[in-house]
Amino acid sequence: MNTDVVIIGSGISGLTAAALLAQKGKRVIILEKKSRPGGALKRFKRQGIPFDVGFHYTGGLGKGEILRVLWEHLNILPGLSIQPFPPHGNDQVSIKDSDKTVRCFFSYELLQKELQRVFPHEKHGINEYMDTIRSICSTIPFFNLDLPLTPFLRNLFGPANTNLADALKTLTKDQELQTILNTPAFLHGVPPENVSLATHAIVAHSYYSGAYALDGGGQAIVDAFVSELNKAGVHIKTSCAAQEIMVHNSRVSGVRSSNEEIHAADVIFTGHPTHLLDIINGQVFRPVYCNRLRELKNTGSMFIVFGAVDDPDSLQETTWVNYYSVQKGMGLLAVHPESPENSSMMLTTPGRRDSDAISTNSARGVILMRPADWCETADFQKSETGKRPAAYEDWKSDQTEKLLGQAHKLWGGTIGEIKPLAAGSPLTLRDELGNPQGGVYGVKHSLGQFITGARTRLPGLWLSGQGTLMTGIMGASLSGFVTAGEMLGLEELWDEVRQCR
Amino acid sequence: MTYEETIRQKVIEVLVDEFELDQELLQPEATLYDDLGLDSLDAVDMVVALEKAFGMKMNDEEKIRAVKTVDDLIRLIVSIGEQHAN
Repeated sequence: MNTDVVIIGSGISGLTAAALLAQKGKRVIILEKKSRPGGALKRFKRQGIPFDVGFHYTGGLGKGEILRVLWEHLNILPGLSIQPFPPHGNDQVSIKDSDKTVRCFFSYELLQKELQRVFPHEKHGINEYMDTIRSICSTIPFFNLDLPLTPFLRNLFGPANTNLADALKTLTKDQELQTILNTPAFLHGVPPENVSLATHAIVAHSYYSGAYALDGGGQAIVDAFVSELNKAGVHIKTSCAAQEIMVHNSRVSGVRSSNEEIHAADVIFTGHPTHLLDIINGQVFRPVYCNRLRELKNTGSMFIVFGAVDDPDSLQETTWVNYYSVQKGMGLLAVHPESPENSSMMLTTPGRRDSDAISTNSARGVILMRPADWCETADFQKSETGKRPAAYEDWKSDQTEKLLGQAHKLWGGTIGEIKPLAAGSPLTLRDELGNPQGGVYGVKHSLGQFITGARTRLPGLWLSGQGTLMTGIMGASLSGFVTAGEMLGLEELWDEVRQCR
Repeated sequence: MTYEETIRQKVIEVLVDEFELDQELLQPEATLYDDLGLDSLDAVDMVVALEKAFGMKMNDEEKIRAVKTVDDLIRLIVSIGEQHAN
């Protein structure tokens, strides 16, 4: 079989790259080893209640903002019903061992007012923090669409490469304020001592500029892409694992899958970059590059409980609040080995802002997450999905109970009793998302670690995915765009996309 | 062996082992781009390999971009080493 481009992986980066390449007349085949496309954006159901694994809310969907512009360009928007969080929507952050609760609104103005109300003596630090975040993002083309892409992408160290912890300590001595300003770490997965101010700013800025939910959750995005890709003639082969990236005369020649050989001049690998070495003969690269891929460090993992509330009264209103309980200081993502349930945690109810779910009475879903350490699963790491030992199920039940107990203490009055329906551990994330050690955001975008980018030394081989550019749905989508841009001409494609502002 | 010679030897070792370059080509005046065939894509690999070999951080983009020859590279490592020592 022959085609122009084979894309390995059907997460949002692969879908985005496929759509852009198909628009340019390329014949594209996507290989997906799981039975359904969509990667971390897929939904699953328990007792009729849909649950999102990787998508709960996002930034970047306001008018003129990058994700909306990109989706407009790809004709994905007509298939989506975007629900902006209303002004009172917020991340409600309670600090452990403190009486402070802060409503982190999805607006610079409202957040600034709220922070000044809770921390009246810290006005200067708060203002300076916001100015810093805004000023960093004004130099990044994905937030300032007038800028060219190339200088940003070719920069070795990136802008603002001081660490967040030091920056926060300079801005304020108030540990509780530091804690609040550090909360976006939940959305990039890197502790403040290791994350650059710029990486933090990229994630924080997109939420301070507005948050958005989608009817139908992440699955609606996948469905909209699949429908457009079908129209464009892109073939998505599911339950079809790439077994080898074939190389001939020092360039890519195609992919061998479980049932055929597909010849293609270009291949995009969207999996975790370390896993590239599983399906290509490493000798095509220099030792230095193989070592780099092999030694990439990953973000921490999460333990996730998917549950449902039984009390119909608590479902009368849509809910635009996500609840966080965080550890004070810089330890937001730390996991206590003795009592992991005492880590920070987050509770979100995407169903209750989803018109589809509300109208079909399936809005009872609750998602509860806490940072998890890969070592917690040490006894079970050799097992695979569907073949886990009984002791693993016991451990999972025990952790679920403990987390629910904590959630009940914190938010029981607001949320009601939660009945667990499913749970995901670092092992689930490893096996479902293909991230080593169940890293929730894959490769750690930390200071001192160089991410791989889209280009490789091997002609015809390209990388994509959140490990190659930025994290989250926005980061992964943009990585798909950048990879397609590297193949087609970066600035030319950027110009076309920007026209959809 | 002087400090600079030790550094030179280790840099050459990295270029031979990690970049599979021919030792005979690694003359002080050899240019990384024209003579050794390295390009901008190799810059990150170079920084990663040298940081690991010398246990130090390279974070001055301008100085790294200014490196043209093997000798420039060695002098850059020496100067970073001296900064660390101070």
